[in-house]
Amino acid sequence: MRNTASRVRLAAAAAAASILVLAGCSSSDHSGSSSAASCEPAKGKVTLQYWNTVPGMDKVVDVWNKQNPDIQVQIKNISNDQYGTISNALKAGKAPDLAQVGYDELPNLRTQNAFVDASACSAATAAKSKFVPWTWSQTSFGGTGVFAFPQDTGPMALYVRSDLFKQHGLTVPTTWDEYAADAQKLHTADPKLTMTFFDPNNAEWFNGLLWQNSAEMYSYSGDKWHVSIESDQSKQVADYWQKLIDDKLVRTDLANGSTQMYAAYQKNQIASYVGAAWGYSMFRDNLPSQAGKWSIVPMPTWGSSAASGDWGGSTVAFMKGSKNLYESVKFNTWLNTDPQALALENKLGGLYSAATAGTQLPALSQGVPYYNNEKIFDVFAESSKNIDTSFSWGPTQKTVNLSLQDAMAKAAAGDGTLSDALSTAQATALKSMKDLAIPAEAGK
Amino acid sequence: MTDTETRVARVAAPRESRRRRPGGGGPRAGTIVAFLTPFFLPFVLFYLVPVGYAIWQSFRVVRRSGGQYGTSYTTWGGFEQYGQVFQNSEFWSSIERIGLFGIVQVPVMLFVALIMALLLDTPLLKIKAFFRISAFMPYAVPGVIAAIMWSYLYSPQLSPVVDLLQGIGLHPDFLGPGAVLWSAANVSTWLWTGYNMLIMYSALQSIPQEIYEAAKLDGAGNWAIAWQIKVPIIAPSIVLTTVFSIIGTLQLYAEPAVLRQISSNISSTFTPNMLAYAVASGNNYQQAAAISVVIALITFVLSFGFMRLTSKRAGL
Repeated sequence: MRNTASRVRLAAAAAAASILVLAGCSSSDHSGSSSAASCEPAKGKVTLQYWNTVPGMDKVVDVWNKQNPDIQVQIKNISNDQYGTISNALKAGKAPDLAQVGYDELPNLRTQNAFVDASACSAATAAKSKFVPWTWSQTSFGGTGVFAFPQDTGPMALYVRSDLFKQHGLTVPTTWDEYAADAQKLHTADPKLTMTFFDPNNAEWFNGLLWQNSAEMYSYSGDKWHVSIESDQSKQVADYWQKLIDDKLVRTDLANGSTQMYAAYQKNQIASYVGAAWGYSMFRDNLPSQAGKWSIVPMPTWGSSAASGDWGGSTVAFMKGSKNLYESVKFNTWLNTDPQALALENKLGGLYSAATAGTQLPALSQGVPYYNNEKIFDVFAESSKNIDTSFSWGPTQKTVNLSLQDAMAKAAAGDGTLSDALSTAQATALKSMKDLAIPAEAGK
Repeated sequence: MTDTETRVARVAAPRESRRRRPGGGGPRAGTIVAFLTPFFLPFVLFYLVPVGYAIWQSFRVVRRSGGQYGTSYTTWGGFEQYGQVFQNSEFWSSIERIGLFGIVQVPVMLFVALIMALLLDTPLLKIKAFFRISAFMPYAVPGVIAAIMWSYLYSPQLSPVVDLLQGIGLHPDFLGPGAVLWSAANVSTWLWTGYNMLIMYSALQSIPQEIYEAAKLDGAGNWAIAWQIKVPIIAPSIVLTTVFSIIGTLQLYAEPAVLRQISSNISSTFTPNMLAYAVASGNNYQQAAAISVVIALITFVLSFGFMRLTSKRAGL
């Protein structure tokens, strides 16, 4: 071993000096322990750092700062390369007190020892009762630790262009079979009009569809992760969408949230959207001319019983190194359970709260003007109740998602199938975990 | 005379003079340090250290202790990461892809640049300053911005170009699986042709006029002057621009990364640099470091290989 090292050093003469310098500090490899966090209130004024990606969050924080002169919060928007920014800050030992992290990224950051366990604070463990159960179990990783507070969720639903449905005599589908039949009718009536689009570059969305069909992709037992991305449940979903793609009943050339996507909707080329709760403000803000034309209904189901999936949503995590855990818990609790904060976040950022109080907000029980004054949040609340609470994400989710996307894109272009894409993702999950020394094997 | 003598003496025996007159040699050494520090400090900090760090990381592997999430640490792994890189089929297909890209894009771009440089250098063209600036202009546009601009022109939903082509019965798919590599190549060509042209044009400017007069006296026409005199004389610049282009091709990132936003036919591992980025963003920094080192080595071999191959012929 040493021999190879010195040979490399000789070969790279110019770099040798810096290697030696760096060898000295290599012991700084992150080997943090998340135990024994203390929860003492600070003496005097405290300033917390809070990184997030939600539009309008600065205004929410302004409200807090006015009410709490002793706990001031400084906010930084990291929408551009959210996880790169967080990872780099962690490596540099400069992570903020609190950062926004998506549910699917939590296990990944956990394996990087990114969080501090806030369960030392009684207020943190007490917060459990305030959140929708499945969101809490994702942030506590099913255990007793508290690593983040849930912020918002993305219970899924179907966005429907009621006017186009009416024009073509379609009934609102309640099952995926009916949805496919509607798509066929639409395509026959007007080949330029498609039911929806399949975004091959959006693994998060596809995962939401798998989630709806109870595809448990990861589990942990016997000191090992068990990967079952290629399950029968996920294959059923993959085969369904593959058929829609093959029959040209869905488009595959649009990316979710892109200018191109809005242009296609603007031109009345697409009749529905399989989306999440937070999408309500996207349509409202980007397609103002279609006000009154959209309805939101429950997502079609696979069987007769109601089931839904979650797409997106995130948490506010307690980052390792925070010296003000007590104050962080205090602010985080307010941010994610206080009715005033939740109402503002829903209005400005389109967040659909993960707190149970969020579903009782007056604003969420009223009709929404853009959606024909329908009570759309009732649909999302119902969807939220039907989300499989045992679903969990893998510790190398980002790598798996990238690989899934690459393979889905190939399938959309006619090279392989979505079912093959699941196999690719399964192999990537196992390999990426092996690369990071996380014990894993296939199957349950 | 005395001045030159002392200078020669100092150059010949700098050590001696320093040893003999530490006071006298001091300020001079101090001056050297003062002048060189602004270069060496950032060079060491921002070049040598990161390169060294990447090499160091590429020889390490992640290990983990205990539990579902465990605690990770890195340890010496020898050539394990390199073995992974060489076994990675995604890596080889990305190399193959940019190989194809380079073989087509580099000659096309440099040929166009050469023609433009030669045209600029003829007396035929009257408004040189205008053309020189406008050809160079794309280089002033950051690569990412250029790619965003082109992505609008490629996008079937938004592009006036696609609309126009559809108007005359053509249905181009600039973002399709077969075409997207060449759409990215087109962005690179647009960005860099003017830059390469300017290097060649500068070389043309330095050719003494007498050579042309002599050639004309010998009966050479404009074509003959261009191909038999100008091009061979500026061959070293052409070699230089080729080396730059080889390096640029292997580092291709911005153009495909931006087009990826609108085309699913660009995978996350489309180019070697994109692969390195994807691996790093999956927290496998050691593997990403190994990929980067391999890319650097391939770049080194190809660019120096090309220089050696052409140096004799180009008269370098």
